[in-house]
Amino acid sequence: MKKLKILLPSLREKKRYIAFQVVSERGEEFTYSDLEAAIWNTMLDFLGEYGVSKTSVWLLKDCWDQKTQKGILRCNHKSVQEVIASLGLIDRLGDNRITFKVLKISGTIMSIKERFMG
Amino acid sequence: MNFYDFHIHSQFSEGGSSIEDITKRANLLGFKGICIAENLKNLNKIKSLRKNVLEVSEKMGIAILIGFEAETAEELKKLVGVRREYDVLLVKGYDLDLNRKAVQTKEVDILTHPEFNRKDSGFNHVMARLASKNNVAIEINFREILTSSKNTRSYICHNIRENIRLCKKFKVPLIISSGAVSHWQLKDPKILMSMGCLLDLELNEAKKALSETPMNIIKMIKERQSKEWIRPGVKIVR
Repeated sequence: MKKLKILLPSLREKKRYIAFQVVSERGEEFTYSDLEAAIWNTMLDFLGEYGVSKTSVWLLKDCWDQKTQKGILRCNHKSVQEVIASLGLIDRLGDNRITFKVLKISGTIMSIKERFMG
Repeated sequence: MNFYDFHIHSQFSEGGSSIEDITKRANLLGFKGICIAENLKNLNKIKSLRKNVLEVSEKMGIAILIGFEAETAEELKKLVGVRREYDVLLVKGYDLDLNRKAVQTKEVDILTHPEFNRKDSGFNHVMARLASKNNVAIEINFREILTSSKNTRSYICHNIRENIRLCKKFKVPLIISSGAVSHWQLKDPKILMSMGCLLDLELNEAKKALSETPMNIIKMIKERQSKEWIRPGVKIVR
């Protein structure tokens, strides 16, 4: 399939990266897919399909650190509050109780990676 | 910025977590201070509670205040009578008469979730005017949204939004709190702020609701507990 020509930087959607940490009851190590499902389900419940479509939310797979339980969510610059509020509504992952700690919100992934992802 | 959560229940009242667990979690999430909301039945245990709270507070390095939450008009009357013995007076909103009484009473600091268990918002322009006059903060309770779902959650969000609109119009102080009954329900200040923004607050207003309003309440507490203070509006001037 022919690839799309990449948009000019000025025409691309403005992104924000949200670094977060999952705090769990007994220090369980959750996988990327566990977390992705929980985030999608909660956001669809809270914001609805239409609302989620506006956020352009994406959990970055290569930035999920299973040991430290730290990860990065990407969304557009207009939907940061929606995404963070939705994270607050996730209080369980399977049978485990969890809390999200928001570490940093940034416009570039580099600054977050340097500071929080080691 | 200093953030405060002024509505947390420990295992002494209706909560399930110890003060140590709550404080540890609040410290992790970056709160500068918290308020443990107690029931009237614990009023006689206040000395031991304060001792416990002081120990934990010194150990963890965050401020812990003791608050009492009145659930009925009689409880409110009793708590107003011993106002200097504890720090924060909260009134559990749900009953219209109690909501009205709370905003009329100068000793009250916070009217918690006026829309709780109601179809309407439990708060109108008359109450907003009184709350503004008597400096009673109106609470936005995160637990209400967290523990509800589907249509109930949307009704709650709508009612909170209505209350916020009135509070903004009549310049009533707003306070955002987790309303946690367990340390697992404590939320990051950024999450609370974002929820405030979704409920039609501006970002600076949401920040104010998490830091400036609680700080003003703390200032009032210090004033109230000084020797010069007699009652709201009356103090000894030397």
